[in-house]
Amino acid sequence: MKKTMMLTVSAFALWVGSTQAQAAVQCPVKLGATVPLSAPGSVTGGEAMRDAIQIAEADINQAGGLLGCPVQVVVADDEGLPERGRAVMERLITQDRVVAVGGGYHSSVGIANMEVADAAGVPVVYAETWNDDITAKGLRHVFRIAPLSSEVARIFADFAATVPGVKKVVLVAENTDYGLPASEQTKAGLDKSNIASVTFTVDIGTQDFSGIIERIKAEKPDMIIQLLTGEASYNFTQQSAEAGIGPGKLPTTCDQAALESGAFWKNVPDGNLCFVNAVGLPRALYNDKTKAFVKAYTTKTGKSAAESYAMEGYDSIMLLAQAIKDAGSTDGNAIVQSLEKIKYSGVLGDISFPYNSTNPPAAAGKEPKFWHQFPKPAVTMVQYQLAGQLAADAPVVFPPEFKTGTPTWPHQ
Amino acid sequence: MDHPDFFLLAIVWMVLWGAVGGVWIRRAYFARDLDVTAARDVGVAIGAATGPFGLVPLYLKTPKLTRGWRMLPWAGVALVFLAAFAVSDPDNACVSSGSFVASQIANGLIMGTIYGLMALGLALIFSIIGVVSFSHGEFYMIGGMIVYYMTSVWLPEAGPIVAVIVACLATFAIGAAFERMFLTPIYAGKVERPNEYAILVTFGLAFFLQYLVQALSGANPVKAKPFFELPHSEFPTGGAILSTSRSNITLFDTISISTPRLTAAILSVVMLMALIWFLYRTWIGKALRATAQDRQAAAVAGINPGLMNMIAFGLGCMLAGLAGAVLVQAFSWLPQTGAIPALRAFVIIVLGGLGSLPGAFIGGIILGLVEAAGAGCVPDPTRAAAYLPAYGMIILTLVLLLKPQGLFGRKQ
Repeated sequence: MKKTMMLTVSAFALWVGSTQAQAAVQCPVKLGATVPLSAPGSVTGGEAMRDAIQIAEADINQAGGLLGCPVQVVVADDEGLPERGRAVMERLITQDRVVAVGGGYHSSVGIANMEVADAAGVPVVYAETWNDDITAKGLRHVFRIAPLSSEVARIFADFAATVPGVKKVVLVAENTDYGLPASEQTKAGLDKSNIASVTFTVDIGTQDFSGIIERIKAEKPDMIIQLLTGEASYNFTQQSAEAGIGPGKLPTTCDQAALESGAFWKNVPDGNLCFVNAVGLPRALYNDKTKAFVKAYTTKTGKSAAESYAMEGYDSIMLLAQAIKDAGSTDGNAIVQSLEKIKYSGVLGDISFPYNSTNPPAAAGKEPKFWHQFPKPAVTMVQYQLAGQLAADAPVVFPPEFKTGTPTWPHQ
Repeated sequence: MDHPDFFLLAIVWMVLWGAVGGVWIRRAYFARDLDVTAARDVGVAIGAATGPFGLVPLYLKTPKLTRGWRMLPWAGVALVFLAAFAVSDPDNACVSSGSFVASQIANGLIMGTIYGLMALGLALIFSIIGVVSFSHGEFYMIGGMIVYYMTSVWLPEAGPIVAVIVACLATFAIGAAFERMFLTPIYAGKVERPNEYAILVTFGLAFFLQYLVQALSGANPVKAKPFFELPHSEFPTGGAILSTSRSNITLFDTISISTPRLTAAILSVVMLMALIWFLYRTWIGKALRATAQDRQAAAVAGINPGLMNMIAFGLGCMLAGLAGAVLVQAFSWLPQTGAIPALRAFVIIVLGGLGSLPGAFIGGIILGLVEAAGAGCVPDPTRAAAYLPAYGMIILTLVLLLKPQGLFGRKQ
């Protein structure tokens, strides 16, 4: 009898506790996302990310929402500008009262607004901001599923080393928190392979590259690596092709925004043989979630494939949703604890954050940049080998573990 | 740069002796009761170009400062600067490669022609109405947008020339309507501070047009097709004199010009000639010039200054629209595209002399050449293109310091 009484009392206490916890949750559960939807930010990237985030919102709500509440994702336009990114993060937290933030495209914006979120105790999962410092600062509430800039630079440098006859590479970088460190890291990687390099830096909104292109021609490079985002990359690729040193003449890497092939061929009709850096699983390794997302995304947008940053935007929101569900709370600290332990299977593959407060990077013999960092996002190089080719049909040509085709070298 | 210290010393030497010359020579002419109008400028130029070796004879002889005295020393300053640069950085492509210099000059001339066309509109408005239009960049953007929609969306079969004409008509109509609705209170004396009112109302128009286009067209960049494409050809075989590809012309195997830019420059020159014909050969053109010279005298002669104001504002907006209409085939186009070109136009009209039409066009070409020289010759490639907007500001500062009325402006 006594045992039955105790069980009854315990069950009642648990029920009261759970209803109280649920009562503390404000409905709808609001998540935030910052993306560039206006120039000088990469609008192409921002709009793709927004569409993916809206799919994530619909998927969460279709699955019953979170903690008994529907979910609302508030998407804010950061314009790719640090000061604007900081302001919209403050607005999301103080006015919209979001419990966590996903999205994020430009590194400069991430660098500017991560401390705002951390100070407010609101967890952020950055989707596409590559600058190493974002995680290297070791902020408690900051996580990232995008690759590290230094890791992408390593891929660029390793790939350049495989290009036959390459002795000199020109790096064209935007003068932002993405482009500047990325150019230094890529240069360091090229130095290790005894490949000479010259870096040209431009403003993020540069349209006219004619002067620089003549200068690049005068350098007589064997390869061009672009560390530019969005429209600047399109403009550079088109103008360099017009000047006779485009992807059809020299091995050239183009921006990820090119992964939407419809926009790429419209903007860069001479872009054949461009090498495009991609994040996420190659098509051959798509899991069921990736396939479902790509189907929903292409239906919604009319595009031929889903870009890396769209997948990252989707996963950043879905990851937060799972963390909130696991935590059973919208409290910032509870979400952080949940994220540190998470085993999430998403469209990018299996995501976790193994270097965290219980396993700091230093203790694990890792550099500080691995703090709250998804350590192994798939980073590949794909190549448009036929004019007008669909992104989904472009083969992965590097690294060898993901390779689905052989590169075509334009200079041979 | 091999000898940066030498270059720095040369610049310091030129600046110091220029300053000494400006003060010393003016005093000498003043003390001898001679015309001092040009004494300071000539003193600055002789001092900077020759140092004490030219200043002492000038001080002793104080010759009459004819047009030759006013112009030639500045050529000397340019020569000394170039010589110092060549000695300091002998390996720079601007010193060692004639073909590179020719390419950069061709680029500078082409872009300068288009800059000049845009600035011409601003100068026309200022010379007749006395208003500095802060919405000039938005008319540039609208001109490009109209051509994009005409050639790619609405009427692709109509062809680019029709689209350019429609863009001209539309920008003229918007400009003329705006002038009638919002600028007439200035002439009627209905506003207390007409200059401030004009600035605010044109600023308002700029924001309105920018956000209207963003609302209608979206923030995503658009890109128009090149107006025409060339067949692949070589003359003679091997292309020693001329070779063409789909979107590029190469002269003497040296100078490479993209067809979108070349088309834009040719259309700009044709339009400029048409404008000169209009201003000098038609009654309305003569009336516009008369109004620019003396509004009251023009009114006495039977010219309606109100009508001239409307035509001038509409024409000015049309020239900006035309510059955008011809350049949209070369760059990605956004609602914010007009900001940088508008800034350039302001620099150009100050350089050429506020209200001077030839000054605006020549100022445009000078700015184009300076930007090409900066992008091509600044030794540090990480700064050469990143500083592109700064070159115009340097010119603006120098002009305001040395010749505040501009190259072709009249002293008040």
